[in-house]
Amino acid sequence: MDKEIKWEADLDQGLARASSERKTVLLYFYNPG
Amino acid sequence: MAAVTYPDTKVIGFISENIIPVQVLFDVKPLSTDFNIKWTPTLITLDSKGKEHHRTLGFLAPDELIASLLLGIGKSHFETDRFDGALECLERVLKEYPNSDSAPEATYLLGVCRFKSTNDPKPLKAAYEKLKAQYPTSAWTKRAYPYRLL
Repeated sequence: MDKEIKWEADLDQGLARASSERKTVLLYFYNPG
Repeated sequence: MAAVTYPDTKVIGFISENIIPVQVLFDVKPLSTDFNIKWTPTLITLDSKGKEHHRTLGFLAPDELIASLLLGIGKSHFETDRFDGALECLERVLKEYPNSDSAPEATYLLGVCRFKSTNDPKPLKAAYEKLKAQYPTSAWTKRAYPYRLL
């Protein structure tokens, strides 16, 4: 099992993966400060 | 979220199996404008075409996040008329996370999904009765109030 979440940094890439893997996308907006 | 929820092994497993996670800074344009981001953390469930189906604002503990993601996936199915997929997700919310903040909305939508897939109004009344019994102070109980008459 993965030891951490493997985040995508690019939404278009995430959407392409979602389409090919037939999944939905979690889009997380964060503030590192 | 980064310190408590995302390192949780159950969260990591759920996301790995069920969802494509994308993280972006709150002020990156044009996404922050397109999605009208005003505060963080903001979490949005999108379908593969980029259409928004569910949004939360603020910290979520691990179980609350998983329940919210299941609700979001269920709403994505529901809003694209895939009722079987929606029912599966919403039933999981109620079975695995009945005490979560997502459970009342899942109860309401489960009734609506069952009605839309059968044209039988009984599930709407059943949803109201369950909401009244299990989540009497929820806004979703108030929204289902008219269904008591069915």
